Amino acid sequence: MAADPGLPHLPPASPSRPPVDGTAATGAVPYDDPAHRLGLALVCAAAEPALSGVLLLDLDPRLVDPVARMFGAVLAGAAEPARPPLVLGAADRDEDLWTRTRIRGGEHGITVLTEPGPLVEGDDADGAPPLVVVPDLARLSVAGMRAAVQLLGADVVTVARAGPHRTVRPRARWLAVCRGADVGRVSRHLLDRFALRLSMAGLRPPGPGEALAAPEAGEVREALLAGLPDTWRAAVHRGVRPVPVGDAAIGRARELLGPDAGVRRQLALLRLARTLAALDGRPSASAEHSDAAARLIGVAVPQSAPDRPESDPEPPGPEPGAPGPPGTLPERGGAGGHGGPRTRDGDRGLLDTGPAEGIGTAPGVAPSPAAGNPYPEDEPAAVRDAVPLSGPRRRTTGPVATRGIVIGTRRATDLRDIAHVRTVREAAVHQRARRTDRFTVSPVDLHGNVRAAAPERVLVLLLDHTCRDGTGDDGHWQQVLAPFLQWAYTSRATVQVIEVGAADAADELRAGSFTARSVLDPRVPGALYRRAGRATPLAHGVELAAQALRRLFRRPGTGPAEAWLVVVTDGRGNVPLRVSHTGRPAGEVAATGVEDAVEAAARIGTMDRTRLHVAVVDPGREPYGDLPYVLADRLGAIVVDGRHGSGAEAAGE
Amino acid sequence: MNRVVPGPRILPYSRVVAQEELKLALELHHVVPRIGGVLMAGPRGTAKSTLVRAFALMAHGELPVTLPINATDDRVVGGWDLDALIRGEPRPQPGLLEDAADKGLLYVDEVNLLDDHLVDIILDVAATGYLSVQREGLDTAKHLSFGLVGTMNPEEGGLRPQLLDRFGLMVTAETLGATARHLLLRTVLDFEQELGREDSAWLSAARRDDARTRERLTAARRRVGDVDVPDRVLELCARAAERTEAVGQRGEIVAVLAARALAALEGADRVTPAHLRRVLPMALRHRRPEVVHGDTFDWESDEARLQDLFEA
Repeated sequence: MAADPGLPHLPPASPSRPPVDGTAATGAVPYDDPAHRLGLALVCAAAEPALSGVLLLDLDPRLVDPVARMFGAVLAGAAEPARPPLVLGAADRDEDLWTRTRIRGGEHGITVLTEPGPLVEGDDADGAPPLVVVPDLARLSVAGMRAAVQLLGADVVTVARAGPHRTVRPRARWLAVCRGADVGRVSRHLLDRFALRLSMAGLRPPGPGEALAAPEAGEVREALLAGLPDTWRAAVHRGVRPVPVGDAAIGRARELLGPDAGVRRQLALLRLARTLAALDGRPSASAEHSDAAARLIGVAVPQSAPDRPESDPEPPGPEPGAPGPPGTLPERGGAGGHGGPRTRDGDRGLLDTGPAEGIGTAPGVAPSPAAGNPYPEDEPAAVRDAVPLSGPRRRTTGPVATRGIVIGTRRATDLRDIAHVRTVREAAVHQRARRTDRFTVSPVDLHGNVRAAAPERVLVLLLDHTCRDGTGDDGHWQQVLAPFLQWAYTSRATVQVIEVGAADAADELRAGSFTARSVLDPRVPGALYRRAGRATPLAHGVELAAQALRRLFRRPGTGPAEAWLVVVTDGRGNVPLRVSHTGRPAGEVAATGVEDAVEAAARIGTMDRTRLHVAVVDPGREPYGDLPYVLADRLGAIVVDGRHGSGAEAAGE
Repeated sequence: MNRVVPGPRILPYSRVVAQEELKLALELHHVVPRIGGVLMAGPRGTAKSTLVRAFALMAHGELPVTLPINATDDRVVGGWDLDALIRGEPRPQPGLLEDAADKGLLYVDEVNLLDDHLVDIILDVAATGYLSVQREGLDTAKHLSFGLVGTMNPEEGGLRPQLLDRFGLMVTAETLGATARHLLLRTVLDFEQELGREDSAWLSAARRDDARTRERLTAARRRVGDVDVPDRVLELCARAAERTEAVGQRGEIVAVLAARALAALEGADRVTPAHLRRVLPMALRHRRPEVVHGDTFDWESDEARLQDLFEA
């Protein structure tokens, strides 16, 4: 087999845990090791079409490609080379996904060919199912999200776009990655379509020493595939035949997922349990298989359940010495004890293929008892984006019509923002029928661009955490900011947060900053409740705010129509700007920190005031209660009383 | 080119667990197509799409004409056969609306995610029964009539009141209790297992049950023209619409049609107040002013307002 540099494989059991004999049994999988859970999950997804969607939460971005290639190798098997996956991202459009137009030049002019697009072209083909990879689900384009909703878990899908019209049965497997903190930006509707969801926060890339000690890459793929038990390889290649699922398994799945779990979630767990049973060669799935499936995806399984339903009576296993019931974890440091089906090579299973390389838990890190929540959107604190599956509303007037990146095309109603390639392509289709001497573009060929909504409004929040009074009563502080945050939410503004004086700041002498796509970003509310530190690099914070605003207003074509700068501070900066720049304290500070802040504020005061509004929230601390007013004067800002006032009036409500 | 996959693997209609309201709405619409469509709303994973497809397979023997959310407008209203056009042969290709008129049903999955301009097109044709295409060298005008069946998850956004009103009936998926959930899981898993068997007694029994339902619906269609609607029922219907402040008069008309269809399904000669009361939520819940302004489709408070009307 040709060498496949960099193809990952699964690590062996931890050195502290002796190799488990007969690890082909799914019950012998060490479920506290994310790499092993991932490997088994991918085998299940390959074997069972109903488990076609795999969502990995908090996977290290460096591991996306290795995991995708591993999934591709599992899908392709040993008989054929893995197909390159279809990678979806923020820029994918409907017209690129569902149909494909090829334009070729020839003796008789241009020839246009329409074909099924990459999302459905593999559904009619023989061989391994195609693989679709979404490296960041939260940043997937609306077209990509809508495609996923249509295809994942669907029995049939209708494609009704210009060109081939077809109804297909999707075969593709999907591998998507999403940060747990970002799930609020993904539609629950879409999240629910992923049958297999695993937290991979504990999966770490290997250290430099391990990478150097890795075996020849060409051996890895062979080791991975050869390590699969025969029954598993057959299952991956041909799929598994569903085995009966006992009532006890159903009851157990419902018990494990809780009374509020949706039917789709319960079905997914039971299908996984059924697949695990089939991989083990069991004639039916029992409650233990539900337990094993729950452990695999990271759902807590009570070790002792007094009212646990009895297992279904099962016929004896298919052969003498068949593995014990899956779900009974091998004791850490113990021998496991199951005599599972042996692999071709003896007793090396999928999960014991070769030395660690590519993917593995961090060296020396003890496996977490909790595998991570596979359903982070259930957390009450999860913030939600409104209607994430809906496309941007059409803008018909004003300069905003040509803002934002192009995310699609549609028939044009005027000559603004014409999509030239799409227009010429439309014209090319009709050339022969028109029988004109020259290439003709007719009004019906005209197509315009559909653009993503570019942020028209921006909220810059400068938060001085040291201006709190230390009593812990910050109610007014958040109350005053609420109208500004509401304004940002309703106008879909991006938010730039600049923080000064946080106790956990990376560098207490400098201000910190981050940009959030909206106020729903969990980092924004997090920034409102930070503990106060000792240093107040206010001047640096004001300087960062000025830089951020300047950058925003200078952006060609897509600068904001309106921006608010809201500064929450008592004005008592104690870190001079030079100290923030150099990172080294130097000499006596005195009033330099305050003076530098006022000077930096003056630069903001000179900015374009037709689009920029500034407010200073005064926490009313004494002495030096006039400092916020001095700062506001230089900023050209209004002052909002941070103890008793409300920002509603200021924010135009 | 229009390719269709063979043998869809959809749970048989007779084996869909619970969701009696959704099933009844589809059956009423089948008996009296003039009802004008059914909208099904409910959270994800409540078998809405499965139910529509299963019903179409049971009643018509094939999958419904489906309008996907990413359809292009030329595929909806009709245009040129692109492959033929490239070869220089101008050959018109009917759109999904024409296909739907042939088969009587247009199914829109995730109808609330449909692009606005497609919604406008469907609204126009559904409201006027007339499709006029004057573009790209096409010049056609046809009378089309089809029932509109849509499914939606309200979590993903609402529907414009105009489109809501185009659906004759609206039903919401019920939340299942523990027993029904268990039965549902059991049924789906059994179905998936039986699919792999060549001579499945389970599937044969389901097909027989589907055939019986089809016969029942066909008989009701034949009978419905003879079902009498007493004035008292009409009066009750008008007063119910008044009490619930239903917007427009389409709700009352649809309610009477649906009550008549229900009477036919039950083999009755005349519509009774009980028939009317059973279908009123379906006909009026999406036509109340609060829904028009974005409120929920909850019907409980309205039920209380109608209590004395039907007790009298």
